[in-house]
Amino acid sequence: MIDILSYLLLVVGIVFWFWGTFQLLSRQSVLVKLHGLSVSDTLGSMIMLVALLLKIPREWPLLLLGLICLVLWNTMLGYVLAYTSSDRSEHD
Amino acid sequence: MTETYVYFIVALLPLSALMLVLQVNPLHALVIRGLLGAIAALVDAVLGAADVALTEALVGTMLSVTLYAIAVRSSLVLRFGVLTDNKDDGELFHLLRNICRQYHLRFKLISYPDQESLEAALRNKEIQAFAHEQDTNYHTITRVKRLYEILETELSPSITSLTYQNLTNSVEKH
Amino acid sequence: MNGILIAMIITLLIPLYTGFYHDEIWEKMLAFATISCKTAMMILVISVLRDDWMIGVVAIIVLSVGNAGLMLLAHLIKRLDEEKI
Repeated sequence: MIDILSYLLLVVGIVFWFWGTFQLLSRQSVLVKLHGLSVSDTLGSMIMLVALLLKIPREWPLLLLGLICLVLWNTMLGYVLAYTSSDRSEHD
Repeated sequence: MTETYVYFIVALLPLSALMLVLQVNPLHALVIRGLLGAIAALVDAVLGAADVALTEALVGTMLSVTLYAIAVRSSLVLRFGVLTDNKDDGELFHLLRNICRQYHLRFKLISYPDQESLEAALRNKEIQAFAHEQDTNYHTITRVKRLYEILETELSPSITSLTYQNLTNSVEKH
Repeated sequence: MNGILIAMIITLLIPLYTGFYHDEIWEKMLAFATISCKTAMMILVISVLRDDWMIGVVAIIVLSVGNAGLMLLAHLIKRLDEEKI
């Protein structure tokens, strides 16, 4: 039961990855692409980490550390990239 | 070690290395270098070398890319001196910007109050070239041989006359 | 599990392609950001697959270090762009 659930979550994470990464191919502004990527990279990766946590609960400290790292750093990186890339286009 | 995905992951490494080699802009090449470092760390981890992967991530992706970004920032720039009253107008600066973009240089205008301070700045190597108005035309003086060659082919004499000033023996050729 | 890893490799190919073909520096930075996150996740999945703690620790360190390096690089490139204007 847990095994099936973890596989399902992994597949959902992959679907999120695909959905966010395909926005890179569209001809939109950098900020729209950044939004798609932050959804895929944060949410998709978090779902996959939860799936791995269900699969091997024995390694929970490591996976929990990964989860916290991912949430904190990826949101911060999203803000930094949005700030640095949009500031330039205001000057143009 | 005989799983099929290992072959696919290892195949990503020459692909990204080829991408890195084909870049022409040094700044873009730096970003792709970081990308190559990330993939190299992945390959190292897949093949079981955890310590090498850690070193590649720390040195290859973070340290070397940051240091090279600072090196590119401080070296690839053309500092162009100009008098304060004719700053940033006219066809010459527009053309110079275009030439700099073509050669992946950054163009930086620095204004000086009078002719003497312009020449002093060129002598002290604060700027690579400067332009001042002569009659109706511009007159550009540079101290870099390569820059003189580039500007000679790109700029027509109707816009500016061009002089190369050799600072080592300070003989002016007109 | 093998199929999931193959799918992850295919998602990795998309940012590689955009990083190569777009000529804008921020597009390349986006590709770099997503690849550094995706490779770290792949290392983590492989570590769970092989039941290897050592690779898992490396994955977590790569995840946080890659993000930190990206922030540094983004600020440096922003300073470069400001000087150009």
